Amino acid sequence: MPKKKAKNRQGVGKKTEGTISRRNVLKIGAAAGAATVLAPNIITTRKALAFADPVPPPLVQCTAAVRSPVHTPFVDDLPVPFPAIDHPLNPQPTETANTGAGEWPRVAHQRWAQFTPAHVTTELEARPGLHTFHSNFGPSYVWGFNGVYPGPTVLNRYGKPTIVRFRNSTPPNGDNTFGHPEITIHLHNGHHGSESDGFAGDFFPSGRWKDNLYPNCYAGLDTFGGNGDPREKMGTFWYHDHRAEKTLNNNVMGLNGMFIVYDPTDPGHEHPSAGSLQLPGYYGVTDFPLILTEKRFCALDAQGRNELVNAAGGDKWIVNGAIQPKLKVRNRKYRFRILSTGPTTAQWDLRLIGPTGAIETMTVVATDANFLEHPVPVDAGANAGNSNAIVGTTIITPGAVRVNVAERYDVIIDFGNYNAGDFLYLTDVRSQVVNDTGSGNTNPPGLPPGLNIGNVIMRFDVVNRETWFPQDTPAIPQTLCTFPPICEPDTTFQWNFTRDPAGSNPRFFRINNRVFDANLPQHCVLKGTCEEWLINNNTPNADGPTNWKHPVHIHFEEFRILKRFAIINGVFQEVPVTPLSQGRKDVTAVEPGEAALIRMNFRDYIGKYLIHCHNMGHEDAFMMVAWHIVPDAAAKAVCDSQIVQANKEFEAKLRGEEVS
Amino acid sequence: MDRRSMLSRAFKPHRYSQGAAKFTNAVLRTQDNQEVRFYDDLIKGKQCVINMMYAECHGACPLVTTVLKRTYRDLKDRMGKDLFFYSISVKPQDDTPAALKHYAETRNADLPGWYFLTGDPYDIETIRFRLFNMGHVGIDLDFAMHSGTFRIINDATNYWGHAGAFASQRNIMQRIAWADPYKSAAEWDVYARNLQTLINKDIKKYGYRRDV
Repeated sequence: MPKKKAKNRQGVGKKTEGTISRRNVLKIGAAAGAATVLAPNIITTRKALAFADPVPPPLVQCTAAVRSPVHTPFVDDLPVPFPAIDHPLNPQPTETANTGAGEWPRVAHQRWAQFTPAHVTTELEARPGLHTFHSNFGPSYVWGFNGVYPGPTVLNRYGKPTIVRFRNSTPPNGDNTFGHPEITIHLHNGHHGSESDGFAGDFFPSGRWKDNLYPNCYAGLDTFGGNGDPREKMGTFWYHDHRAEKTLNNNVMGLNGMFIVYDPTDPGHEHPSAGSLQLPGYYGVTDFPLILTEKRFCALDAQGRNELVNAAGGDKWIVNGAIQPKLKVRNRKYRFRILSTGPTTAQWDLRLIGPTGAIETMTVVATDANFLEHPVPVDAGANAGNSNAIVGTTIITPGAVRVNVAERYDVIIDFGNYNAGDFLYLTDVRSQVVNDTGSGNTNPPGLPPGLNIGNVIMRFDVVNRETWFPQDTPAIPQTLCTFPPICEPDTTFQWNFTRDPAGSNPRFFRINNRVFDANLPQHCVLKGTCEEWLINNNTPNADGPTNWKHPVHIHFEEFRILKRFAIINGVFQEVPVTPLSQGRKDVTAVEPGEAALIRMNFRDYIGKYLIHCHNMGHEDAFMMVAWHIVPDAAAKAVCDSQIVQANKEFEAKLRGEEVS
Repeated sequence: MDRRSMLSRAFKPHRYSQGAAKFTNAVLRTQDNQEVRFYDDLIKGKQCVINMMYAECHGACPLVTTVLKRTYRDLKDRMGKDLFFYSISVKPQDDTPAALKHYAETRNADLPGWYFLTGDPYDIETIRFRLFNMGHVGIDLDFAMHSGTFRIINDATNYWGHAGAFASQRNIMQRIAWADPYKSAAEWDVYARNLQTLINKDIKKYGYRRDV
């Protein structure tokens, strides 16, 4: 082994001409700024990646109470995550884990023979890097895929399976951040085997890797044959670390990215092709991911860095890794794939503010990666009722699209309605630190009346379309897709999201009175069946219903919300499902005292999957449980018996017995 | 060897451990009335499981102590060597070392490597906040809040984890193991080989993959 390594190193030294060595990367970096961070995406061999990690932050960092340094708004352009490039893997992926070559143990890939003949491959390596969030700031130490934040966007196509090799090159013994060097990567919300699902307990250490097989199939393989039921099409996915107890930490460090899967209706271009809806669709040109999060920064240190504070939450709104960026848009339609990566209580009530200060229209075409049957415009006028920024039946933020943690909303904005020179603003109702040094923010000149600079996430600068720029797409079709019928349930189940009441011991976030146990299912589902689940955040406690909101995420397949319940005037009752929640979803936020009745299929695969609150603080504090899909009645009996056994142990412990 | 010097045996903290600045170096007393410094003697470079309790508690504390006793049995070989249990009193004004000694003895929990600790109420409140705070005033002010949680800390790896006392015993063992010292590449090789064997065995046994 050591011999081989030495040889490789020699190879790098010799072959600088024409290939990208570390030195060349640095040269490119010096010449063209951003190229440095992009370079690792296109380098494929291990030897080329062998440049030194950045030095981690110093031992003593600033505290979570610090106010981030000031910045000037609208200086930087909106960054677009670089696409991940397909390339061969060495060694080639195998059906069973190639542990001899460093792959982490797992069960064999399901449906390997079906999906591997025509697959593509790429690699995403979790590793430290430096990222500059604003040009007023020095770089910050992050962990990112291929060293960049946000991670490269994987652009895939239905019918073309992908194997992504996730390699863990985080510092093997940790560093002074609160990132933890063990990872397991979940594709949210892929339909695939549990061995590729990034199960929270299946994390692997630094120096190892794992191949996730993403079949890029539609759900319903067994019943529909071929590549499944095309009505199950999804588009906007994201991938992120899911390490039990440390999901929050590793996501704050930057271990997440976007994953887009195209199909004939949404082909990734705007040409009139068979079945295409011709929505704005050129990635990074007319179709942008908007990855939202919030961060807090320390003051510039002696090393010229603005390090991240080791904590959830923040006082700077981050979009695609930038603070209050601007995007030059031509007067035509654009698509934005909006994702909230949380990490905790952040909920984005997004409004589009026009040049006059009025709330303008955003048209939602997809929720959680799924096209709505009909586009849903949201504004504060004629379409005010479409807002999902709602508690019970009261719209909290008129004209807003509310994005809870892990939700995705694909939104189309028609800048053709504005004039060149106009500015539009994407805003939240919460306020961030812009130029506040203690006495509040001061609005820069030129903001429309009524707009506070602290609320602004980013700015759109409208210009006339140049002749070389793609011309506008046709009007948004009134029918975007046909939903598959809602399935008839074989059985029902209830998930109670609770936190133990005050005065009781202990006080955990729990689901069905259980904490996360990687070894144990809390529910067993027979493959090929449909179930009706009640996502319940209205469990009566001594101190009333739980006082916490939970954006609940279910792995594996998309669900449909049948009914929504809330407490109105003290009475728990059914309330309407908002237009934006009537489509196919994989996250549903339940406010305190609310519940959602959903139906979901469990097809094609077996294994361990999760239901959890996607507030990453809650999920790390136990609000996550596993459920298993089992292949047959015999396996279901075995699965159910584990639950019975575990319940006995639980009760014995509560009786104070020493369990065996 | 007296207990103090045994506790102070050289353990190497993680190079980025925040040390006493985070944990405090408060002087506490064990059930044997030994003075110990919280960071230097109890935390520094060590892996430990910490819970909050008080001697007169008739709710969760005795149940949790039973769970810890059960856990102790499984980890006997490591206890007092590289793994320690600390049960810290949240009513230090009532819990003298003698009271804690009585609590431990009557529950057969006065065992090597397991310390019941009391001290200055202000110090203990500080430690409770530093170890268990959730960033929510409403939760953090409630001293009973975390009596059913184990905080699992390994200062040698800078790992902070937790476990629920009433989770399955296997889950508790696994969560303690998640805080084990980082393994060398060779040790991971052995670990991975064993894990793959376990996985293969499980598939046979359950008809689908169950285990981690």
